[in-house]
Formats: sequence, structure tokens, C-alpha cells
Amino acid sequence: MTTNQLDLLQGTLDVLVLRALSWGPMHGYAVARFIHHGSDGTFTVLDGALYTSLHRMEERGWLESEWGLSEKGKRAKFYRLSTQGRRALRTETTGWNDYVAAVGRVMTATPQVT
Amino acid sequence: MNYPDRTPRWRRYLRLLRPNVQADVDDELRFHFESRIEELLASGETPLDARQIAAAEFGDVREVKRGLVSIDHRLAAKRSRIETMRDVFGDVRYAMRSLARTKGVALAILATLGLGVGANAAMFTLLEAIYLRPPAGVVAPSGIRRVWRTVNFRNGMQYWPGNSYVQFGVIVGALGDRGTAAIYGPPVKMKLGAGESATQVQVSRANSSYFSFLGVPAELGRIYTSDEGRLDGPDPVAVLSHDYWMRAFDGKRSALGSTIVLAAKKYTVVGVAPTSFSGVDLNAADVWIPLGSQRQRRAGATPWWQDSNINGLSILVRPLPGVSERGLEQRITTALRRPEAAYGAIDSSTVARFGSIVSANGPGESSQEQRIAVRLAGVAIIVLLIACANVVNLLLSRAVRRRREIAVRLALGISRARLIRLLLVESGVLAIAAAGVAVFVAYAGGIVLRKLLLPDVHWAQSPLDGNVVLLALVVATVAGLIAGLIPALQAATPELTDALKAGAGSGVVHRSRIRTGMVVAQAALSVVLLVGALLFVRSLTNVRNVDIGFDARRLMTASVSFDDRSASRDSTLPSRIAQLADQVRAIPGVQTAGLASMAPMSGFSTITYFTETDSSALGAKWFPTVTAVSPDFFTAAGLHFLRGSNFPPHGTATPPQVIVNQTMAKGQWPGREAMGQCMRFAKRDAECYRVVGVVQDSRMSSILEDPMPQYYVPVDNVPVDGGGLNGYYVIVRADPQRVGEITAATRSLIRQEFPGGIPQVTWLSDYIEPQYRPWELGATLFTAFGVLALIVAVIGIYSTVSYGVNQRVHEFGVRIALGAQIGDVLRLVVGEGMRTLTIGIACGVVLALLAGRFVASLLYGVTPSDPVAIVSVVVALVAVGVVAALIPAWRAARVDPVSALRAD
Repeated sequence: MTTNQLDLLQGTLDVLVLRALSWGPMHGYAVARFIHHGSDGTFTVLDGALYTSLHRMEERGWLESEWGLSEKGKRAKFYRLSTQGRRALRTETTGWNDYVAAVGRVMTATPQVT
Repeated sequence: MNYPDRTPRWRRYLRLLRPNVQADVDDELRFHFESRIEELLASGETPLDARQIAAAEFGDVREVKRGLVSIDHRLAAKRSRIETMRDVFGDVRYAMRSLARTKGVALAILATLGLGVGANAAMFTLLEAIYLRPPAGVVAPSGIRRVWRTVNFRNGMQYWPGNSYVQFGVIVGALGDRGTAAIYGPPVKMKLGAGESATQVQVSRANSSYFSFLGVPAELGRIYTSDEGRLDGPDPVAVLSHDYWMRAFDGKRSALGSTIVLAAKKYTVVGVAPTSFSGVDLNAADVWIPLGSQRQRRAGATPWWQDSNINGLSILVRPLPGVSERGLEQRITTALRRPEAAYGAIDSSTVARFGSIVSANGPGESSQEQRIAVRLAGVAIIVLLIACANVVNLLLSRAVRRRREIAVRLALGISRARLIRLLLVESGVLAIAAAGVAVFVAYAGGIVLRKLLLPDVHWAQSPLDGNVVLLALVVATVAGLIAGLIPALQAATPELTDALKAGAGSGVVHRSRIRTGMVVAQAALSVVLLVGALLFVRSLTNVRNVDIGFDARRLMTASVSFDDRSASRDSTLPSRIAQLADQVRAIPGVQTAGLASMAPMSGFSTITYFTETDSSALGAKWFPTVTAVSPDFFTAAGLHFLRGSNFPPHGTATPPQVIVNQTMAKGQWPGREAMGQCMRFAKRDAECYRVVGVVQDSRMSSILEDPMPQYYVPVDNVPVDGGGLNGYYVIVRADPQRVGEITAATRSLIRQEFPGGIPQVTWLSDYIEPQYRPWELGATLFTAFGVLALIVAVIGIYSTVSYGVNQRVHEFGVRIALGAQIGDVLRLVVGEGMRTLTIGIACGVVLALLAGRFVASLLYGVTPSDPVAIVSVVVALVAVGVVAALIPAWRAARVDPVSALRAD
């Protein structure tokens, strides 16, 4: 398994999307670009999965959507974090950091002989 | 790959009406692809490559899109649900607030609608229980038929559900293998326990197959077997109803095998019936015992199962599927007409018919109480109509008062549909609250109605069941919504500018045709109810005035009974009772006491006699009843002599004498003087009892029967022995003011003189009073409803006139300023109110005449078109109407022209 084919777990993708939207309202394409640039090509996310994540989180009440105009004056659907979404981002971020720290500890540990 | 289906542009506009999920998803993804391709083109990719890259980055477009659409559909549905809830909640809150502002009107509506619907629910529960509800706990009750047959009664041919066991045998024979049958005696009160502590239970005698026929198993223990239930001397075994088991044995298993004493006989409890089952009659049974129980068998006499006189048994038949009921009825009719069916009482014209298992639903005559109940249901509906009219009126006047508020809302852009919804929610809130009131009224009313109409019925079910609650809810809601719809529709179409401009009155008079119509309807319906009430009141007076002969209020009967039968055959008993009469006479408050062989209005007793004239022309129905009496009897009973004289005092030696009543004198010796005629008893050549007196008629069993022939023989010189002509009863004339103490004194006297005996002390008025009950009931209930209707109608007239006056304050101001006198204004206002009322009254009189025939059979001595009743109601209603109109008219007449014209 190579790193650029890393399969992202659904929960992880959600955190990334929430994080993207924490900077302000964005349309789906902008979220896709944000994640793409942020990962710097380390992993790719299928855009379809991204939209599924957006819609699912809207159903869950984490996101709110609204039709608006893009920078280029085209009709686009903008997403924004709801209060619930903000709260979810906080807990998910903590969870993710704990996870990363734990994985890191395991990766750097040496066997201890007792 | 091009992003696939382009939706036409026009579909976007549909989104203004409702979210178009599919189109939104398409648009969103199209934007994504367009943006991505644009960016790729900018970085130098060929258009073909750009498309391919974008598609590859996306994944399976079709699959993703399907997923998104389904998520968004769920989301849209959830949103619309929340929105509706929020809307309704807001409307309800708004309605509550606006109702709280007009508490009086809201409460009036609540009370009117609650009473109207509640009265109906109570009435219809009762009717359903009487006429429709099949007995609970029975398997497939609709497949069971009750057998009725025609019987020639004194008042004509009638269908009768009673049969003898002989007829049961005949019917079973006629059925053959076409169905099954069961026979039972409807529940009767029997004495439970012994002595004075004895209570009563409802006992039904049933053959052992009765339970299996109905599909009722024993819940505990078992049903008695056919061997235990044999006709001749069955085992003393009993099955208890679940209800009675709970009451008397606290639902303990130890009830099985225990003993209960019914009518001085011991029975062993062998089983308990299931919870729901309480027999197949309206009257619930507490205990079932074998069919042949409690039947004496004297040597040589006809056994009861061959005796055609024991004929109060009900027969149920369950025809097999596919068997023609008409055919079966025909077979049974034919069989019943055969001589062997009758044991000496052949009825060659009898007709058998099947009826529903619900006996009130059968072809027989219904009781007066049941017939009153049906009419009352009609009355309840009328009351509901009046109530609805009133609610419409009240809501209308509310709506009118809110014209400006509504006009402002409309001007501010609320849609008419939304406004109507708002007003409907208001009446809906009212209606639901009213339904609550109605359920309460139905429960309380149900109890009262049962007590009043059918006090002797031992009810198995509670007066309120789920269906009634549901019915009350539905009726109240529908009535409330309909009543709310009329003003809502009216309010939603005001002339906007008009209403906004209007102050107190700008000279424009709004006469509401609906309001006038409602007043007409209310007046008309209350005329109907009031005429009905008056007819019943007049019937009651007429019935009360019927002379029954006896002076019932002063007439007490005292006697003694024994649990031990041999004691009642003691030959010294008559003389000891004669002594008792002397002692009773000494009780303070007792005027006189006589002896009789029979208590007044307690039964019939005949012996064969011969007269010098030929009495064969009198027909088979001429059965004069004989009573042996002491001379004091006539004074004690309050019977007056028309001719001749009383028996001589006890101990005077005279030739045998007889006293006849008026009907007997006229019927036995038509065209001749009865005095001095001879009656010879048992044999043609027996001693002559000479008629020495003619006494007035008295009733035999019911207050409204035709007078029947009766005669009296001296108790110390009876013509035949062993005919029950002993002075077993002390007939007492006593002070009606001292009923309690005289009763108590007599009882203790009897206890003292007859150890082991049970005192039986009754007042005739206690016996006949229940016979007045249907009349009193009709009068009371119809009057109650009539007065209720009248009050509601008066409120309607008052509020309409009052509303009209408020609208025309300006006009009255002008009139008064121009010189109109108080009288002129009064006449104007009252005249207008009365015009409406007169139309209503006229309609009401016509309706009352039409409705009259529905109550004709329940009246006595008065016809439905009784002019007295109709005229008094019209006069009363006009008088009340004038007063109701005068109050607001007075207000109109005292309008101060200056302030009225200045207002605005």
C-alpha cells in the first residue's frame, strides 16, 4: 500500500470537510480543492465521496446549505457549519489528535523487556 | 465524459414552489464539473483530457447522484414535517391567546358544545347498549337467533320471547340437524342467604348446553354437566359470573366447592364464567343454575317440563351456515301448531319468528322506557343542533368583533387560506376542549340516564367505553369545525376598505343573514322541544289523576313469610293474623285495619261460580278475581260503596253474602240490577251467596288498565276451602306522614308474634309509584331539554338584537335627534327582533305538529296537536323573546344623540 492510495475512513473525510468549512462558507468544489491542496497530493479523495459526505452531514444537521453565486458569478450551493457542526468538529479534532498521538507513540516505541 | 442530463431551465422555477431535489443535485454537480474542467483547461489540458480527468476524480457519477438524491429527499421530508409542526404549534398558541382574550365567549362555546355532544354521547351509548351491542363473551353472536312467537295477549297479538320446555322440544325437533339450540330463563332476582339479612342476586336458569352453545368455557372450575342439569330434580350446583365471584368471594379459588343459599336452597359452586360473559340479556346474570332448579314437583301434578304454563323460557337457535332462516321459521311455526306441541293449549295460529340475540332488537313490543329513550335520542340531536347554531352565533359575533383585526391582517398580506386556517385552528382548539367536557358529560349523563330510565337493569358494562369517547371526540371536533368554518369563510371575505374605515358605524348596517337564520332555527327547535315537554307534563298530570280506586298513599299491607314452608301451612296462621290486625290497629297513626286473602294489586285469583243468568256470552276472558276480606277491608283500602252495604261485623250470623265491583255488576248482569243476585260456587246447586253491595272499581296490576271484574267474599265464610281464601294479609289505612314509624312498629309486632317469621310490610304507593316513572321521566327529561333549548334560544335572540343595536347606534342617534320618542325606538328594535322570532316560532309549530306522531304513543289523554300545549308555548316564547329584545332596545332608546354622532 502506498501513501497516495491511502483509503480514507468515512469519519476522517468528515473531519476534513468540517475543518475546511471552519474557515467560512464554501461550495463543494472549493472544499474539494481545499482538501486536495491541504493533503498536497499525499492522498486523493474521490469528489463523489466528498459530496456524499457533505449531504450526509447536512442531513445530520452539522451543515447548513444555501444557494449563492460563486466567485465567477455562477450559481453554486454553499455549505456552512451549524452550531452542531462546530461542536462536532471540536470533538472530532480532539479524537483525531489523540488517534494520531497514539499511532505516533506506537510507531516510535521499542519493545520493553521485563 | 460530459456531465449527463441537462435539465430544462424552466424546471428551476419549480423550486420556488417546492424543493426539487433531483434538479438541485444536478445543478450542484454541474457546477462542480464546470469549475473543474475550466481549471484544467486553464492549466493547459485539452478539453477531452480535462473531461476525462474530472470524471476520474469524481468516481461513479450515477451512483453518487442516486445516493445524494435519496439523502436530500429524506432531508426535505424532515424539513417539511418540522415546518408544519412549527406552523400548527404557532397557530395553536395564537388561538389560545386570542381565546383567552374573550374568555366569556370561549366558555359559553365550551359549555354549549360540551353539553350538546355529551348529551348525545350519553343517549347513544344507552341506545347502543340496549339495541345494538351483542352480548360480550359469546362466540359469533350474530349467528344466534332468538325465537319469538305470537301470543294473544289481552291487548292484542304480540311477539313474545317466552316459551315452555314443551315448545323447546318441538323446536329442537323441527331444527333437526339444521342447527343447534339452547334454552334458559332470563335473569330474575332471587333471595340469597336466609332471614332478614338476605340480599338479592340475579339468577339465570340455563340448561347445561347453554354454555357450550354460546361458546363460553368456564374460567375456573367447570360448567355443570347434562346429568347434573337433568330436568327432574337437578343437582344443586351453580356457576358464578366473574363479576359476582369478585364481589362475593374476592376472586378467591376457594369459592369453588363453597355453598350459596338461593331462595332457601343450598347450591354448590362448581365454576366461574369468564370475565366478559354476563349472560345474553341486557340484565346481567350473577349466578347460573340448572334449568330445572327451584321447581316444586307435587305428586300427580304435571311435571314442569310438560307444563305449558311455565312459559317464560327464552330459546336461542344457531342455524348452520347455509340454512335458510325463513325456511326454519316456517318449519318451527308448523311444528308449534301441531297439537302435541301444546299439551292442551293448542294455538293453531301461532307464528314463530327469529330475531337478533339482542332482545330489544326483536319483533316484540318495547317497554315505555325504551321508547322514551329512542325519542330522547332525537331530542338530544335537536339539542346538539341548537348548540351548534349557538356556537356559530357566538363565533360569528367574535369574528365580527375582530373584523378590524382581520382586515388589518389581510391588508398586511396574510393569505385568505392562512387566515381561514387560523380561524379553524381556533375552533379546533375549542372543539377539542369541548370534546373533553363532552366525555365528562357523557359519563355523568350516562350514569344518570341508566338510573332514570332503566333502574332495574343490572348493568355489566361501564357507561363509558372507548367508542363513546371516540364518538364524542369526532362529533365535537366535526361540529366545532363546521361551526367555525362558517364565520371563518365570512370573516375572510370582508370588504377591506370598508372594515378598515368603519368605526362604530358609518351608516352601513351589517345584517348577518346567517345570524338571523340561526335565531330562526333555534327558536323553531325550542318550540318543538317545549311543546314536547308540555305534552309529557300534561300526560303525567292525566295519569296522576287516574283514579285507581285504592287510597294508595294511606294503604299499607302487612304479612309474614317463612323460610320453612311447613310453618306457612300452619292451620292456626289465619287466626293469628286476625289477632295481628287487632294489634296493628292500636299502633298510633293507624286508622283501621282489615284482612284480605290477597294484597291489593298483587295478583289474580279465580274460582268457578254459577249465576242464574247465562254467562257464556261473556267469553273466555271473563275471569272475575275473588278476594276474601273482612268488613274493615273496604274502609282500610279506601274503596267506596256505590250501592248496598258492607258485610256485617265479624261474628254476626247472616246468610252468605258477596260484594261485587262496578265492572262485575255491569258485566255479569247486563241491564239488570246486581243487588240481590245469587252466586253459587264450585257447583250449580251450591249455596247462594247473595250480592249485598256494589263497590267502586280498583286496579288489579297496572294504573292504566281497563277496570276488571272483581268480587269479595267474607273471610269468615268463604265458599270453598283450600282456594287460598284465607286472611293472610292485614290491610291497613294509616297516616302517610308517619310511614317510617308505623312500618317499624308493625315489623317489630310481627317479629314478636311470629318467631322465625319474616315481616313483610309494604305500602301500595311504593308498588305503584314505579308505574308513574315513565311518565315522570318523559316529563322531567323533556322539560329539562326544553328549558335548556329555551335558554340557548333566548341568548341567541338577545345577542342578535344586541349586536344589531350596536351596529346602528349612529342611526338611532340621528332618529332621536330628529325627534323620535323612546317608544318609537323600542318598537323599532323589538319589532325587528320579533319578526325573526315569529318566523322561528311558526316553523317550530309546523315541526312540532310533524314530530308529534313520534311521541303520540307515549302520551296519555292528550294528542300531539294539543292546542293548549302549542298555544302556551307560543305565548311563553313570545313573552320571553320580547323581554330578551327589550333589554338591548332600551339601550338603543337611550342613545345620546350627541355622543353617538360625534363618535368616529
